[in-house]
Amino acid sequence: MSNLREIISTGNDLAAIASVDAGCKFFGGYPITPSSEVMHTISDLLPKAGGAAIQMEDEIAGICAAIGASMSGVRSLTATSGPGISLKAENLGLAQMAEVPLVVVNVMRGGPSTGLPTRVSQGDIAQAKNPSHGDYKSITVCAGNLAECYTETVRAFNLADRFMQPVIVLLDETLGHMHGKAMIPTVEEVQANIKLRKTFDGPAEEYKPYGVAQDEPAVLNPMFKGYRYHFTGLHHDDMGFPTEEIETCRKLIDRLFRKVDEHVDEIESNEEYMLDDADILLIGYGSASLAIKEAIHRLRDEGIKVGLFRPITIWPSPEKRLFELGQKFDKVLSVELNQGQYLEEIQRAMGRKDIQKLTKTNGRPFSPQDIIDKVKEVF
Amino acid sequence: MSRIVMRFTGVGGQGVLLAGEIFAAAKIKTGGYGIKTATYTSQVRGGPTVVDIQLDDEEIFYPYAIDGQIDFMLSVADKSYQLFKDGVAKGGTIVIDPNLVYPTDEDRENWNIVEIPIITIAKEEVGNVITQSVVALAIANVFTNAIDEQVLIDTMLSKVPKKVHEANLKAFELGKKYALEAMNK
Repeated sequence: MSNLREIISTGNDLAAIASVDAGCKFFGGYPITPSSEVMHTISDLLPKAGGAAIQMEDEIAGICAAIGASMSGVRSLTATSGPGISLKAENLGLAQMAEVPLVVVNVMRGGPSTGLPTRVSQGDIAQAKNPSHGDYKSITVCAGNLAECYTETVRAFNLADRFMQPVIVLLDETLGHMHGKAMIPTVEEVQANIKLRKTFDGPAEEYKPYGVAQDEPAVLNPMFKGYRYHFTGLHHDDMGFPTEEIETCRKLIDRLFRKVDEHVDEIESNEEYMLDDADILLIGYGSASLAIKEAIHRLRDEGIKVGLFRPITIWPSPEKRLFELGQKFDKVLSVELNQGQYLEEIQRAMGRKDIQKLTKTNGRPFSPQDIIDKVKEVF
Repeated sequence: MSRIVMRFTGVGGQGVLLAGEIFAAAKIKTGGYGIKTATYTSQVRGGPTVVDIQLDDEEIFYPYAIDGQIDFMLSVADKSYQLFKDGVAKGGTIVIDPNLVYPTDEDRENWNIVEIPIITIAKEEVGNVITQSVVALAIANVFTNAIDEQVLIDTMLSKVPKKVHEANLKAFELGKKYALEAMNK
């Protein structure tokens, strides 16, 4: 990114601003702490940008309205927190199955259930992988600082249109509410890089929305523009009509996986911070990485060489890079504000069980000292 | 400048958040870094609220104030004062509203406790209780000398509605006056 501008804002406001800059024209949702400011701010911005925001009667209706708007061809957003994702889960599955692009911001708070409404958590990592029943591939990105609340939301819209499915943007209470400086790309630059979903512009009678290559997403033209197709959560054929035909059903789910798996290089994003000369590898993401970076500086002041690997794309996980790092580093510590939800993925990707972990689930953030103490304790 | 760490505490609904945003924005305007975080409870009003403000010329990663490293605290509610006072470095300054916060004798030995009737000033002298956050802003700046006064005032005015500019300017002046008086006592 070349041209950066300075903005003083919160993570929630930055997610809302990013959506509008990325061309989002519709928001459907229901307010919930700690995500409500996304809705407040976009409700103000969208009408001025030729769009609309609706507070629906609940979270379920919020995502349904957003799916409907997306089917009409516009970029569409809903925002919530973990309890809202639980409610939206059924329709996240619908959007996966019918291949409707959608961005879903989840500002994580303490759970399960209503949990700790005003407190920080990273407890929705596992939920983001499979919020709904059935087989599909999640695309989930996770902001790690204020600027990324903007840039990752923008990226999510482009990924949603590229892969024709919901993309979850994880923020957390700390990032959503912290107020400070962010250097973000200009609107012009964001707009110049918008990649809208493909459309079919051949003869309407030749249009087969789900008749695509086995590693590609559906091509869904906007509804009511002369290109007719059937829309369903049932297994469907290339026109979208329900079917139980054996090979069609197999190929559909296979394609939902392959459209993501075979293009992970377009999705993966991560940060390697002070890793080159490090002896100890810390792995963390989201707001926890802020405490980790502070701890790294203080540990290095004492001569302890520590570095950070931070997945920005959480799902699909950066499994190749994790494997390489697992070969390179003997000492590995996973740091997350849950009981070790991503640790399981790190163990799987690295093929190792000897990963140390630092976890916290009392609604409070890690302090840099927590991390310093743990590093000194285990290594 | 080394890092300045401040903490404002009150109860939900008192508007302690605004002063923090103004400090952070003013510091950023002068080319530095400023971060404000707020921690509050799920009570709509009346729950203890804490606002941490960090200002530095260097980038700030961790957004919360670290207990024991806070130079200055201001409190307008006893329950928040009691919960969060221990984060203030020994010998640091704590400004309290003496009508609402009740420090112990031990507290007065540990910290420089300064009594300024912030709420009364806003309510009776400015005539608008909401301006208490700007009274607090001015007081905090006198004690921390964090931001050039004119930059702080300009930033403050950019964040409040025009129709209350005058009241907030008055609140700022009164906060400064009381803080200087208390300082020189």
